[in-house]
Amino acid sequence: MFVLPSLVMMVAFIAGPLAAVMVQSFQQTQDVFETVEQEQCDPFGCTTTQVTRPQLDDEGLPITITKWVGWENYRVLLDGKSVRAAFSDAGQGFRDLTDIDFYGALRFTLTFTLLTLPLVIVVGLVLALAVNALQKRVRGPIIFVTLLPFIITPVIGALSIRWLFIGDGILTAALERLTQRDIAMFAQGWTIELLMLFYRVWHVAPFAFVIFYAALQTVERDKVEAAIVDGASRFQNLRYVIIPHLMPLIVFVALIHLMDSYRVFDEIIGFRAEAFRISLQWLTFDFLIPDDTGNRSIGRASASAVLTMIGIMIILVPLLRNTWKEHRRG
Amino acid sequence: MIKRLFVGVIGLVILVAGVAWAECGFQNDIPLASLSNSFESWKVVTDAMAECGNFTAELDQNFSQKQPAAMAANPSQYAIGGVSNSTLVPLLSDGLVRPLDDLVAEYGQDLAPSQLIKVDGQTMAIAMQVNAQHLMYRRDVLEALDIAVPTTYDEVLAAAEKIQASGLVDYPLGGTYAAGWNLGEEFVNMYLGMGGMFFAEDNMPAINNEQGVAALEMMKSLTSYMDPEFLTADSTYVQQQFQQGQIAMANLWATRAGAMDNAEESEVVGLVEFAAAPAAVPGGPPATTLWWDGMTVATNISDAAADAAFRLMMEGLSFDVLSANPDTAIWLSSGQIESRIAVGAVESARGGAPSYPASNVMGLLHTAAGNNIADFLTGSESAEATLADIEAEYTAAAKEAGLID
Amino acid sequence: MEGKLFRLPLRLRIVTWVIVCSWLVLAVFPLFWLAVMSFKLPLDAFDENPLVVVFGPGTSQMVGGISAIGLALALGFAYLLVRAYTRRRVWFERLRAADVPTPLALPGFYAALVVAALLGFVLLVPLLSRVAQLALAGVPLLRVLVEPLLGLTTQHYQAVWIENEFYRHFVNTMVVTTGVVTISLTIGTLAAYALARTRTSAAFWILIVALVFRALPHSTLVTGYLPPFIEFGLYGKRIAVIIVLVAINQPFTIWMLRSFFMNIPHELDEAALVDGCNRLQAFWRVIMPIMWPGVITTGLFSFMLAYNDFLVSALLLDGPTRTMVPAIMQYFNRETTLTDQLEAIAAAA
Repeated sequence: MFVLPSLVMMVAFIAGPLAAVMVQSFQQTQDVFETVEQEQCDPFGCTTTQVTRPQLDDEGLPITITKWVGWENYRVLLDGKSVRAAFSDAGQGFRDLTDIDFYGALRFTLTFTLLTLPLVIVVGLVLALAVNALQKRVRGPIIFVTLLPFIITPVIGALSIRWLFIGDGILTAALERLTQRDIAMFAQGWTIELLMLFYRVWHVAPFAFVIFYAALQTVERDKVEAAIVDGASRFQNLRYVIIPHLMPLIVFVALIHLMDSYRVFDEIIGFRAEAFRISLQWLTFDFLIPDDTGNRSIGRASASAVLTMIGIMIILVPLLRNTWKEHRRG
Repeated sequence: MIKRLFVGVIGLVILVAGVAWAECGFQNDIPLASLSNSFESWKVVTDAMAECGNFTAELDQNFSQKQPAAMAANPSQYAIGGVSNSTLVPLLSDGLVRPLDDLVAEYGQDLAPSQLIKVDGQTMAIAMQVNAQHLMYRRDVLEALDIAVPTTYDEVLAAAEKIQASGLVDYPLGGTYAAGWNLGEEFVNMYLGMGGMFFAEDNMPAINNEQGVAALEMMKSLTSYMDPEFLTADSTYVQQQFQQGQIAMANLWATRAGAMDNAEESEVVGLVEFAAAPAAVPGGPPATTLWWDGMTVATNISDAAADAAFRLMMEGLSFDVLSANPDTAIWLSSGQIESRIAVGAVESARGGAPSYPASNVMGLLHTAAGNNIADFLTGSESAEATLADIEAEYTAAAKEAGLID
Repeated sequence: MEGKLFRLPLRLRIVTWVIVCSWLVLAVFPLFWLAVMSFKLPLDAFDENPLVVVFGPGTSQMVGGISAIGLALALGFAYLLVRAYTRRRVWFERLRAADVPTPLALPGFYAALVVAALLGFVLLVPLLSRVAQLALAGVPLLRVLVEPLLGLTTQHYQAVWIENEFYRHFVNTMVVTTGVVTISLTIGTLAAYALARTRTSAAFWILIVALVFRALPHSTLVTGYLPPFIEFGLYGKRIAVIIVLVAINQPFTIWMLRSFFMNIPHELDEAALVDGCNRLQAFWRVIMPIMWPGVITTGLFSFMLAYNDFLVSALLLDGPTRTMVPAIMQYFNRETTLTDQLEAIAAAA
């Protein structure tokens, strides 16, 4: 009963659209087109051309038909023919595979997620331990400054990093002076990928830091003291007392981070990486956004959204099993 | 033009806005809104319209993403929609904009005939400016190296080689090659310049041919003289490169020309000159497409609101407003407006550059081109394979939309 | 102070400081640089030479700037502010002695600090440096001190806050964030409490589904909202954004609060139930008082989500009802001039 308000909200605004997306991934909605001769005059003169345009009904609305197409949207998206071609004798295997939008996006999304995860946790942990070792007096301001990259609005943060590097941004210029080479950070995929990874770690590590730092405050002193008295080294202490104490929170941070970085999207837009690296969420977005002349590919967008969802579920399975056990124990 | 006077009374700049254009001719009582693109000329026109009261302007570079949905509502969220050749297409095909002939007859005495965008004889939009990508070059650099203003892309390449050797600027060329719409537009320009046709019968794509390969090869040759980050370079970036004195030549939008002389941003004030877009083949038309920008009135609003909206538009497009900003855009007006920046587009048009062939199928092909050409420019695919990819992506999208069988 | 046992050897202390300091530089530098750029004309801000960006010769030539004396004054004033901040405890003690209620004193203190900062930097420092300039302009050697050293302009800030009425977006943001935080905490705590106390598999599945929802790409959900919201007349209303953000944020809120509830022993509510409370009373009287830290933490995250949201607000709000982040992005989206971009940064700052 307590759950009701929350459940209603989630059903209406998340489950509802989600169900619609699932249904749409098996459908195609099309206008009924007619090809007519049309005369158009603009400042450059009049032209008469054959124009394919939607038919309008009596009220002036376009007539649309929606039909079930089964797996067609998925087939087009997954592009089995090109995959087979990539792995045939003439193909180049994985290189060709990642040229296909979907697999390229999948590749990047997965590497991005799996590479940033350990980095975020390690950086967050090291920072938490380091700050925890400082005198109490200086901790307050340092914690505040440490948190800045996390607090700052993501678009602004991404931009600030981008401007340091784009073109002859000052850091690129500095690197050029150091290495005596002409460096263009946004001219090839791997450097952009590196920047995006760096940005994500920069942005999220403070979040991990603050969670770990809070947890460090609750480490029982007696335990640590006992361990030291027993002759445990600092490292052993860390390994056998502190880390186990933090473990639930490390799992929590990992979970949150997995889900967030799997949705990677802002970085692609912020760093204008579309030419080199795209992510699954970007791909969906790209299908969904109408182009100048109003075309959008809702069917393929839905299919790619569903596949994205399946992907995240697979990644989350181990964590979910954990929750299940915990839940049973109560 | 708003003049900002900085008064150092207490060492702090205090802004005093002095308004230099004529007051609005009527008082608007109906709350109205517009949604349009965001370049400088839209700011000028919508600011003038706001003088009449009860008017808010939404300026957004991504306006086309929500314009059809917002204008399909009843009543429409926006009474006035700013459009161009291509963004007019979805509004037209969904019947979201109304014919303006009656309103033109009543209030449009000052409009030039060329401003009326007519579809099958009905006026559907009022054009306010012409826009095109054309050659901008640093006069001082070309003079110093004794290079004539290039008229073909082969000459551009030769000039770029010389400029590169001289080391006068960081990169000889700039270009709006950002993956996506910009890159697609560059391909459209070059392919049309090579004399290509986009479609065969029944909306089937037809770009995998000699002209297509030639267009791609030329684009690739040009990029070798550009900043290696060209795949992220949009118009603002290229404009910035010019302003910072990093490049010597670029095929850039006419609307960006005025910024070259803005002393607060530019290090090259007065040094950038404009000419027709270079031709792709000797003797061919300038390899560019001509665009117009203008305004439409929504179908789903009351006639009274439409009436007020149209009068607002006429205020925004009045000769006084436009002539006060001669270097912001190439305005269309029945009066004469002397402008320094018009020469490039005018010469391009005179040389026979076509207008952008906007249609829904063209929109799909443009998108497909913009998404795939990067693979060729980075060298990971051959020209033929890239063109085949574009055709495949177009075909998939067009099939899903029901445009081809 | 730390117990002797925990004192680190010098070597480790140095390592610690190196780690912390390098992170601080990493964390602050990009933002600091952005701040510097926002005070310059585009001419200087985008220059490739860092010295030009910092000193802004073009800006000082065209608009003016701050002189050595002005800079010294500003720094001195900043020092005073920091000092006032660090000594706040002493003052509180005095206030407490004077029987002034302390809950009021804290916000009051910060408000006073902000007002003092504004007054000082906007009025006092420019005024004094102007006086100094008038006094010393004639003196040959000292003139150097009063000539503009750093090119500086606040025109972007003025353009954003005064000309473009940015405070409206600020108010919108406040309305939306307050709404989101209150509503999502209210219904979130109820749901999380219930889910933490049952062991049915239905509850588990709700949790799992919530988790999957959390993992969903937002753009998938959000684009579907536009037509229905326009139909119900909610487009452009702040309440629409509040509702959607609450919904999107529910999974996270529930999970986070649930983990806090799990740490509160069952025995506590059972005792309350035995004492004759019903569930709701037990929840409100017994559990909530010890839940505050968890609620506040969760509330902070809700706040950040609502504050930083771009996708939903950009889609459902327009014109004067926009919140800050979409409004900032708006500047970038009309980034036809570099001035616009700098105005955007000024807005963001």
